[in-house]
Amino acid sequence: MPVIQYREALNQAMSEEMERDDRVFLMGEEVAEYNGAYKVSQGMLDRFGPRRIIDTPISEEGFAGIGIGAAMVGLRPIIEFMTFSFSLVAFDQIVNNAANIRYMSGGQFSLPIVFRGNSGMAGSLAATHSHRPEAWYAHVPGLTVVMPATPADAKGLLKSSIRSDDPIVFIEHENLLGERGEVPDDPEFLIPIGQAEIKRPGSDVTIITYSRSLLTSLKAAEKLADEGIDCEVVDLRTIRPLDMETLVASVTKTHRAVIVEENWPYCGIGAGIADRLYRSIFDELDAPIGRVFTKDAPVPYNRTMELAMLPSVEGVVAEVKSLLNR
Amino acid sequence: MPIEVTLAKLSPTMESGQLVKWNVKVGDKVKEGDTLAEVQTDKAVMPMESFEEGVVAHLDVQEGDEIALGQRVLVLARKGEDPAEVARSVAGSAGSASGSKAAAGSKPAAASEPAQPSGSSDTNGQEPESVASESAVAATGRIKASPLARRIARSAGVDLSQIRGTGPGGRIVRDDVEAFLKSGGSQAEAPRPAAAAPAPRRGGSDGQTRRVPHSRMRQTIAQRMQQAKQTAPEIHLTIDVRLDRVMSLREALNKNLASEGVKLSVGDFITKAVAVALRRHPALNASYEADAIVEHGEVNIGIAVALEGGLIVPVLHAADRLSLREIRQGTEALATAARQNKLTPKQMMGATFTISNLGMYGIKQFDAILNLPEVGILAVGAAEQRPVVQDGQLAVGWVMTATLTADHRAVDGATAAEFLRTLKSLLEEPALMLA
Repeated sequence: MPVIQYREALNQAMSEEMERDDRVFLMGEEVAEYNGAYKVSQGMLDRFGPRRIIDTPISEEGFAGIGIGAAMVGLRPIIEFMTFSFSLVAFDQIVNNAANIRYMSGGQFSLPIVFRGNSGMAGSLAATHSHRPEAWYAHVPGLTVVMPATPADAKGLLKSSIRSDDPIVFIEHENLLGERGEVPDDPEFLIPIGQAEIKRPGSDVTIITYSRSLLTSLKAAEKLADEGIDCEVVDLRTIRPLDMETLVASVTKTHRAVIVEENWPYCGIGAGIADRLYRSIFDELDAPIGRVFTKDAPVPYNRTMELAMLPSVEGVVAEVKSLLNR
Repeated sequence: MPIEVTLAKLSPTMESGQLVKWNVKVGDKVKEGDTLAEVQTDKAVMPMESFEEGVVAHLDVQEGDEIALGQRVLVLARKGEDPAEVARSVAGSAGSASGSKAAAGSKPAAASEPAQPSGSSDTNGQEPESVASESAVAATGRIKASPLARRIARSAGVDLSQIRGTGPGGRIVRDDVEAFLKSGGSQAEAPRPAAAAPAPRRGGSDGQTRRVPHSRMRQTIAQRMQQAKQTAPEIHLTIDVRLDRVMSLREALNKNLASEGVKLSVGDFITKAVAVALRRHPALNASYEADAIVEHGEVNIGIAVALEGGLIVPVLHAADRLSLREIRQGTEALATAARQNKLTPKQMMGATFTISNLGMYGIKQFDAILNLPEVGILAVGAAEQRPVVQDGQLAVGWVMTATLTADHRAVDGATAAEFLRTLKSLLEEPALMLA
């Protein structure tokens, strides 16, 4: 199986779907002439031409709205945000319009649109460009939020997202774009939305995570294995809808859970997941649900301080051990 | 899919069991109805039968292990499945009592360690678990235990206050409960060497103090009696019953039945009369439930039988429709089975009212404790000759004193009194039972 980068997997997913369906097009800042601010759309202008690979001015609210209108009349747009920090300018379009068109029109309109782009604390981008937006969007009924951590998941889930008839918020991570992994080249390689995956089986504690924190969690699991603690690592892949079936089965087996996310704690993804686990399997828990998250403060420019805020391997190890009282 | 065999309810009040003996081993072929194992329930050693056909691929528990209801005890490979393959696939998800989990945090008394700075402190919330306490019992008297530990303890009928918590802040966690159960429930005495707990001996009169660990039956009795006293507001009504006619009828019948080897007891007449009276007073032949009183269609009499180290209440089904002879034979069969530990689940289930008789010890009167959810239990004293007033004259008569304990949530005093009045009339004029 070919080994490619996460950014190439995204490119493959978009290119294959554009080949398959001529209603699909890509629009965003620098996606065409510059081949993408992060080179995700490398070569796509040459391949598909300027009618389908469209550069926009710095006007997120505008091009998100154009995408929504295009989707309402039958096209299948992919709207790229250079980073999801900039999607805040388009928040009204995504939350008020995209999420609610089907509902407000009594089902007369569906909205096959993908909003995608990277996110996260990627290194000295400072407070306004380091946002992790998944909790904001996952809060909204009507939106689906997908966050792949591996190149294969990125490809399979982006293809499924483009084929979805409802709006998808597809959030990548700047620090994952260069990650390499095996990715099937089958044009029908699809990963269903809403399915978590056990990336590492284990018996003592379930680590629930997604996006870049998967890598942190897997490293922590290896360290813990050296100390005789067997962690199961579950990659959510889709944040909303949440795959409760997989989570319940895993935590029912291990009786302990730690949620690791690159998010602020209050009203974060972990808060929502912990709530649902407590209410569904309280009697299975042998310890309170642990959480590892970003510190509750604006993200600093200073790299050392930024790293200190992020969930770390040591932080995950310590949280798991505290649940086991070790 | 392989078949996961779990522990089913083998007695009505059973909440967990102990695997006494495996009758199968890995590789054995099993048919429906085969006995897989013998399980000690709260009442007796019961055979555990297979409801399926297959080959034993994996055993989850060992002889002597405690098993929770619904816990997987073994896995059968279906026809066409490779038992070795099945064994490999289930090994990872082995049942919690498999003993392979010792690595998972059973470090003793680590509570004095400071809470780990976990890199995950939430500035919106307080730092959790910063108070280290040696005991799981908080200052308020509330026991700190994880939900899972509570669930396991509840199903095993274990009192959490006996268990020492080794989790954060002295919290009782699963490992603590399992260790407690494995040690036969004496972990609270953990600092003492095992030899300090002598094997129980009966009738010791040597002046030595000894601890007799609770048997499963003792645990069950304790739990159920305490539950009854704590939940049911009881009312007690005592009545004297003349038994002269029962005594003479018994003598006459026993003469006739002697050739068949049947000898009716006074208790059999009482059983019969109680059953007939219950048929006429359905309010006493009932169970109290949260939202309703269930008046049972059958009259099934539980008969308390004393055993070495405890008691058990097997059930005489449809007692109101049995003849005296059938009551005698049925009661004898139940008592024998109870003493030999051979009661079947059916013989222990479905009682709608209980009789406890201490007449044979010469007890004149006592109050019995309800066998919940039944709403009534009759405590029967000795039939004895007492001075009675008859037609204004002092005379000698056969008299018995019986005391009804009723659950006042379901049964009011007058209702209970009416039942006793019927019972008295049936015993004082046994021919009425034929009417």
